Amino acid sequence: MRRRPGISGLQSAAAARDQYRLVGENVAKIRTDLMKEQLATFRSQLEEFARKHKNDIRKNPTFRTQFHEMCAKVGVDPLASNKGFWAELLGIGDFYYELGVQIVEICLATRSHNGGLINLQELCSLLCQRRKTAREAVSEDDCLRAISKLKVLGSGFEVITVGKKKLVRSVPTELNKDHNEILEVAQAQGYVTVEEIEKTHSWPSGRAIDALETLLEEGLAMIDDGHRDGKRRYWFPCVAPISAALGAEGLRSSS
Amino acid sequence: MAANWLPPVLLTASGRPVFLPGEIERCLLSAVDLEAEENPALPTLRSGLLVLTSHRILWIDESSSSGCAIPLAAVVHVFHPKKSLRNMFASPRVRIQVSTSPDGRVGEKGTRSEMVTIVMRGKTDPDVFYGRLLEVLRSRTWEASEESEGRERGSGSGEGSARVRMPVVGVSGILRKEQEMWESTDKSLQEAFHDLNALMSKAKEMVQLAENMRQKLLLGSNAQASANDDELGSKQEIQDWLLSVGIVSLVTKESAGALYHQQLSRQLADFVKLPLEKAGGMIALIDVYCLFNRARGTELISPEDLLQACALWEKFDVPVMLRKFDSGVMVIQNKAHSDDEVFARITSLAQKPDALLMGISPSDAALTLGIAPALAKEHMLTAESKGLRLLDSWVLGFLLRLPLDRHNILSINFSSDDESFLITRRQQLVKVMLLT
Repeated sequence: MRRRPGISGLQSAAAARDQYRLVGENVAKIRTDLMKEQLATFRSQLEEFARKHKNDIRKNPTFRTQFHEMCAKVGVDPLASNKGFWAELLGIGDFYYELGVQIVEICLATRSHNGGLINLQELCSLLCQRRKTAREAVSEDDCLRAISKLKVLGSGFEVITVGKKKLVRSVPTELNKDHNEILEVAQAQGYVTVEEIEKTHSWPSGRAIDALETLLEEGLAMIDDGHRDGKRRYWFPCVAPISAALGAEGLRSSS
Repeated sequence: MAANWLPPVLLTASGRPVFLPGEIERCLLSAVDLEAEENPALPTLRSGLLVLTSHRILWIDESSSSGCAIPLAAVVHVFHPKKSLRNMFASPRVRIQVSTSPDGRVGEKGTRSEMVTIVMRGKTDPDVFYGRLLEVLRSRTWEASEESEGRERGSGSGEGSARVRMPVVGVSGILRKEQEMWESTDKSLQEAFHDLNALMSKAKEMVQLAENMRQKLLLGSNAQASANDDELGSKQEIQDWLLSVGIVSLVTKESAGALYHQQLSRQLADFVKLPLEKAGGMIALIDVYCLFNRARGTELISPEDLLQACALWEKFDVPVMLRKFDSGVMVIQNKAHSDDEVFARITSLAQKPDALLMGISPSDAALTLGIAPALAKEHMLTAESKGLRLLDSWVLGFLLRLPLDRHNILSINFSSDDESFLITRRQQLVKVMLLT
């Protein structure tokens, strides 16, 4: 294409641009065709996999974990949408979304008791009790994945680590460092006293009381003034040992 | 004559060996000698029929209708029939090492061992025999039948006088069965992992391709201001494909998201009308998630689906909207339900005489407004940012107060270095409240 001055030069340049655009569109079209083809192949491969191993995924929690880890490595999210191939062909979408709903319900039911913070193990055991009819085993990893999906909905669903335990938070209350440390101390016996906190962390009394009162307000702590030595104890249902919680369950169900 | 260094074999009337329960014949060789190499005192057995079974090696002397056996459990090692220049013209030999008791009798769990040579003088291929022998040794069929015998015996003598050894055999049989089951599950899982790997490598390719398409989408939307139908169509397709593979693409200003989300968005808007009314105009997103999925029963939606659907409401003309508070809580509320109206109601509540004295807590506000306590708290926090003064109190949760006059505020000493500052503050607060 010789560059020519004047109007004809402009016209030919415009014509050239059009040509390139058409070619570009065609190339794009080819690429979308290619994509369609690739997608079809992928889908059939996934179908094959599902046919052979759908049961394994349902029944075997370790296999499920492996599956999720590999998906994460590749960069796909099998739980992203119920419309995706993964959910459609492997059927794991419903499993996790249902799990999410059940977790929310359990957290809501126990909120009056523990203020919106629940021990992960307690949550799992309550979940298993609820799901006695369903024959699919639920592992801690499954719970964690379901909760991580719930996170996007706001309302503060999160898993936080306090000391050695994992707690599931279902309220948007922010816990600062002081609160976390108090919860850690509480893990030993389920309760703390002001003196204990002051001794272990060497805080001024005002600071300890401040933090404890906030936790009290938020509903995470309960006061026990009935002890013989007269010291006020702050009980934390969320970090109390599971046996105590199950005992309460037993009482509730029997009454 | 059968030597008594090998246990004897029972023969039937027609000369066939009597097999043990579960014993299967594997190989027949004729004209075979059995030689004990190391101990010359043990006689050589010449020219007999060798029968390899799953449990024993039988040597039968047809002329005298007698036979003896080497239990395979006693076989310690088998040597390969090597073909070398030396034995090229000699008869092929397979040597096995068997365990013997101190007095020379061949049996399993012997303390000593003996080398026995199987000399094959007939026209046979030693390799075939060797292969079969190895197979049989590997499968160890005699152990399984021992277990079953032991289990039968064990279960039988359960009630009676306890012979301590019996239950152990039975239990170990059960344990072995468990082990085998695990191994077979393991194998199928191995296969599953293998398939999973193959699938994932394919998925990786898809992800690459999808990323390219997504880049193209972004560039396309930036470059061209005018969208012609073709472009829109393919963009839609691309969104759908990305969704299928499992890559969530964000709803951008130009794109309308996947078709699935568009439909879901409309469906959700219809669904949410009734619960909104019941809840007083505002519901937390997480509650909608539970309600919607429960109503659906199957084919549930993921949290991200919900989010995408709500985000699309901006494009459609629906009477509901998604709202995000500073604390991160997300709610769905009626467009008609405005903030100012809520603040007016809170203020009127705060102006009542007991409220002035005691303040109002989120639960009071919740009762009045008819919404959940968590949401009431959110409203009050927003009210604070809008200028309604909030002072918090230890005992009453949030205390909502109207703007105080200057001279009242000055009467409070804010000495933050003071350790007991916080406690003093409470007392002072009560004083302030009583003043106004």
